[in-house]
Amino acid sequence: MHPLARLLVSGIVSAVLLGLGIASAAAQSAAQSPTLDAVKKRGRLVCGVNGALPGMSLHNALGEWEGLDVDLCRAVAAAVLGVSTKVDFVPLPADRRFDALRAGTVDLMARNTTVTLQRDAAQGVQFAAVNYYDGQAIVVPRDSTVSELADLRNGSICLTRGSTHELNLQNWFRVRRLSVRPLAFADESAMYDAFLAGDCVAVTQDATALISTFVRRNKAAGVRMLPDIISREPLGPYVRAGDTGWLDVVRWTHYAMLEAEELGLTQANVDQQRRESHDMLVRNLLGQIPGNGRALGLDETWAYNIVVQVGNYGESFERNLGARSPLGLRRGLNALWRNGGQMYPLPVR
Amino acid sequence: MRLVAIVLAAGVLLPLAVPASAQSTLDAVRKRGTLVCGVNGAAPGFSMQDAAKQWQGLDVDLCRAIAAATLGDATKVSFVPLTAERRFAVLEAGEIDVLARNTTVSLQRSAGAHARFAAINYYDGQAFVAPKRLKLTRVSGLADKTVCVTKGTTHEFNMAAWFSLRGFTVYSLAFDTQDAMYAAFFAGRCQAVTQDSTALAAAIVQSGKAEDYMMLPDIISKEPLGPYVRNGDSPWLDVVRWTHYAMLEAEEREITRNNVDGKLEAKDVNVQILLGVRPGNGKILGLDEKWAYNIVKQVGNYGEIFERNVGAGSPLKFGRGVNALWTKGGAMYAPPLR
Repeated sequence: MHPLARLLVSGIVSAVLLGLGIASAAAQSAAQSPTLDAVKKRGRLVCGVNGALPGMSLHNALGEWEGLDVDLCRAVAAAVLGVSTKVDFVPLPADRRFDALRAGTVDLMARNTTVTLQRDAAQGVQFAAVNYYDGQAIVVPRDSTVSELADLRNGSICLTRGSTHELNLQNWFRVRRLSVRPLAFADESAMYDAFLAGDCVAVTQDATALISTFVRRNKAAGVRMLPDIISREPLGPYVRAGDTGWLDVVRWTHYAMLEAEELGLTQANVDQQRRESHDMLVRNLLGQIPGNGRALGLDETWAYNIVVQVGNYGESFERNLGARSPLGLRRGLNALWRNGGQMYPLPVR
Repeated sequence: MRLVAIVLAAGVLLPLAVPASAQSTLDAVRKRGTLVCGVNGAAPGFSMQDAAKQWQGLDVDLCRAIAAATLGDATKVSFVPLTAERRFAVLEAGEIDVLARNTTVSLQRSAGAHARFAAINYYDGQAFVAPKRLKLTRVSGLADKTVCVTKGTTHEFNMAAWFSLRGFTVYSLAFDTQDAMYAAFFAGRCQAVTQDSTALAAAIVQSGKAEDYMMLPDIISKEPLGPYVRNGDSPWLDVVRWTHYAMLEAEEREITRNNVDGKLEAKDVNVQILLGVRPGNGKILGLDEKWAYNIVKQVGNYGEIFERNVGAGSPLKFGRGVNALWTKGGAMYAPPLR
């Protein structure tokens, strides 16, 4: 094609893109959001967290907050206020967490809370996203030769008697036409004692409870979690119902972290990528092509601020729960969808 | 008015879906006794009338499932075919209760003052089809060629982005409707046509000339498709969202149209909760406790509707792929229905 014609066509393509951008911008002014307005006015985000759960939200020995939920709060602060450190963390007990959210004590609750129908549809609150796929997991000694659950066929597994864990485990082996020998205990403490004494080759419970127990008992270095998750406990942040503009901010903060991971954007390379990348998906996410920020009522640098200050989802996972943490968890269900996991970044455009 | 004209043409007389002042779509649907569902209408596998004028498709079955959940009768649905360009305006005007029109979920469509997606009911991606005689092997071979596309879609954006990133130029020939786009493609006005892979495959199969065309191997985008509802009516969003999840849960628990009555006797607590033997879910959604039973009994579980509309039981023969349950390597995952 003649160079002039090429220029003309690329101009037409740009015009088409511009046209799309204008059309969507016109259609999508940001929603009214009392919480977003309040956070901006206050200059700080108030985040309800667990506070005592290693990997998810913990006030550590140095007096610093750390965890996957903590990072989500920081990412929301980076998106809304431009500064990820402007967060007040409020530890909430399980039985008060929804009341605290409804009462407006916190702007957002990121407290390893399972998303369920009856919570989502309940008066007053809604989940914004799933930031961790938890569920029943299996732990083996670190030096075990077992690499996946099927390897435990005919093995003895410690569990609590009459629990859903027992049913789930039996069911998992039965549908695969394999057998397993459950060793059942009346209480959790006795179950963990038996496992640590070598009475069974594995122990099963919800993944976060397993992690928490071994860290608390100072035994995390001696054990390893198998990648199989055999029940559904999707954890996610909740917001007050009726403030959809705020729900959008929290939801798309999470998806921006996933999208950054999928596009290979990290804390370390995001500045360079922002200067040099011609990929429109990158330019869209980082705000050089405007529109997302406006639709959310945020600065167009919102997602750039998240990535440069907090990192992408994979970075947050690895330092809090994964290879770079004492927990050493594998991504498993929390891997990107391309890598066999459930984390699917909805298009940030 | 255009919608009324369409509806009248279809031989169905309907009031507008929702009075502008009404907040509760669920109440409006109940009062009317019919669900008004905006669909594509020309997308084999997703929403189309067959030779016997029966509506068929994955989106159609989602609409029927919502009717089963809210009205107890999956047949109480009026389907309104919509163009891609007008679909959101029609939803926002209250002319339909739900938009189930193979529509990509993205930030700028699901933020701000207007629509919200309720769930993802199909994970798709954008692909290209070209005549075999052009001997193309990759999408990059379309540089400097003309590609037919539907106006106002994410496909137009994705194509421009993909070629621009690679320093290539492509000519876009944009049409208001899919029918016009495919007509132009089959008439040879463009060298390729682009849309979501499933829609492309369906159109090529339907043309009866499948042996003359090929899909290029590159998938250039993520296209998660899902139903949308109006912003600000979260109880209705919940109904649509959990209707989809109930179909996933039924598949995971191996509850089908054929065995659902027997499952009412199941000892599995998860099954008892889903089918309303143990009450709670219905009340909190504002529905009869048999809502999910009615979905499965009258429409089926997600796997059943997938197979009969786009899978092994259909002419399309798509594999489950990303649309398999999470337990089978896919991304279909329902939060617990409890």
